[in-house]
Parts: sequence; C-alpha cells; structure tokens
Amino acid sequence: MYFYLVFGIIAVLFIFVKGMFLCFIPQSKLPQVFERSFRYIPPAVLAALVAPSILYTRSAGGFDISPVKIAAGTIAFGVALKTRSILATIAAGMILLWLLTYLAG
Amino acid sequence: MSEEKQEFLRGARSGVPLIIGVIPFALVLGLAAREAGLTTLQGVFFSTAMLGGTAQLAAVQLYGAGASALVIVATAIIINLRYSMYSLSLYPILEGRSFAERLFAAYCVSDQSYAITMTEYERAPDNLLLPVFFLGASLSIFSVWIFSILIGYKLGTVIPAELSLDFTIPLVFMSLLIPHLKGWDRQVSAVVGGVAAVVLVPCLPLQSGLLAAIIAGIGAGMVSSFFKKKENSEGEE
Repeated sequence: MYFYLVFGIIAVLFIFVKGMFLCFIPQSKLPQVFERSFRYIPPAVLAALVAPSILYTRSAGGFDISPVKIAAGTIAFGVALKTRSILATIAAGMILLWLLTYLAG
Repeated sequence: MSEEKQEFLRGARSGVPLIIGVIPFALVLGLAAREAGLTTLQGVFFSTAMLGGTAQLAAVQLYGAGASALVIVATAIIINLRYSMYSLSLYPILEGRSFAERLFAAYCVSDQSYAITMTEYERAPDNLLLPVFFLGASLSIFSVWIFSILIGYKLGTVIPAELSLDFTIPLVFMSLLIPHLKGWDRQVSAVVGGVAAVVLVPCLPLQSGLLAAIIAGIGAGMVSSFFKKKENSEGEE
C-alpha cells in the first residue's frame, strides 16, 4: 500500500508540473513577459538537453569529459546543419561514436 | 476525420527515430524497478501512471534504498520541473482543446514528443491539426516506453550498454534544434542554454542545473531581443 501511496502522489504531482501552464495557471494571469518568452523556450530547452550529453559521459564517479562523444557529436551537428535529416544525423553520430571508441580503446 | 487520423499517424511515425534512444533507457528503468523490489503489478502501475524519465529512475532507486516518502516525492518533482516550461510553450498549440484533453497531454508529454511537436510547429505554425500530431507522437513514445520498462523488468537490459544507443537522443535533439535557430536572438538563447547546462548540470543537484540553464537561455534570448528591436521585422511568429 505504501508503494501505491508514494508513487500515486508522484503521478498526480507529475501531471500538475507537466500541465502547470497548460491546465492550472491560466496564461491570462501571467505577466506579458511570459508571452515574449515562448520563442526562446524550444532553442533553450533543446540546447540544454544536448550540450551536456555530448560533452560528458556519466559514470559512478560523476561527469567525465568524453573526447569521443565531443568529436562524434560535433561532426554530427555539422551533418544535421547540412542535411536537415534526423536519420542522417543519427547514422553519422553513431558510426563515428562506434568507430572512435574502437580506435581509442 | 480521416485527415485527423493521418495527422495522428504522422505524429506517431515522427516519434520513431527517438524510440531508438528511449528503449535502452526504459530497459534500465525496468531493471531498476525489479532491483528496488517492485512486484509485477507495482511495475505495471509504475510504468503506466507516470512518464518522467530520470525522475522515475531516481524515485524508484530511492524507494528501493528505503528513503523517506518526502525525499522520494520531492526528488522526482524537482527533477521534472523543466516540464513546466514545456507546458508554457505548448499552450499556444493546445489552447483550443478541452481541459480534459490538456490534462491528458500533460500526462503523456515527454521530452521527445515536446521536441518533435515544437519543431513541427516551427515548420508549419498554422497547422490546426498539430494537437493530433502531438498526441500521436506522445502516445507512440509513451507506449514504447511502457513496453520497454516491462521488458527490462522481466528480462533485464537486453541491449548491451556498449552500443551506447542512448547517444541517439542528443543526436535527434540536435537535428530538432536547427529549425529553432532562425534569428540571432534565438541563437543566443541556444548558446547560453547549452553553455549554462554544461557548467551547471554537473554541479547542481537533482538536475536543477538543467532547469536553471533553460531559464538562463530563455532570459538571454529575451534580453537580446531588446537589442534586436525593430531594425528587421522577420515575418515569423
């Protein structure tokens, strides 16, 4: 029962957080500044999600800088800019990652 | 009617490249749930009642380690606070939908379905069926997520970690980022968001560095827009 209580609360609070401005806090009550922020949310979110995963490898000890990921990620970003193709970016990034990991180790 | 169905399927299909990276993570999560001592029924509840990635992993590990309920709940919520930003950003798309539909959107939205939908919005802002596209993307990712957690729970991590398939997640996100880089004010917000994340994520607890970096990136974009001003009025947004 304890399990369902704890994770039931988490499930409900997740919906509150994930729907905060979609369901619960009306946009009309927010200062106008918020509306001007819309344009910047996707680039800020995506860059913040991408950059650490390209730079670091997570280990038990924390975050280690990973030259292999940096190289593979940077070249893949070039491919993404050039081709605008998700699949080409995945292919370039993964092949480089495997190749460089193999060569390095 | 059939147009809606098509748009739903288009959304579901657009989730496919992201699924490659989602599966290994969900397998790890399933294994963690078993190691934390969840029964099968608890595992089913755990994978279907919520969608929260790292927050779910942290919560189940803390539960297994016997942490107090308050610590478990607070940790999970803090890790997922970035989703409040997504809800702000999705609002213009889902504005016209009923409360129940928006609540369901909040339940099933993921980093992945948010990212695809915003990129689609950037490409075609006038698409009135974008909510259906969003639903298709969210549900395809969520169902694979649930299924993979249960596989991980039953069978363990069946995909070797050496393949590093989780690296496909940033690869997809970087290609989804590109359409959002039009205009130097948005480039500023991406650069500041990325650099701040690199600095803050390793040193702030509970992924609060990620939220701080997102807010810094948004703030930087807004500040730079003051300098940009009316010189060139781009026809977007």
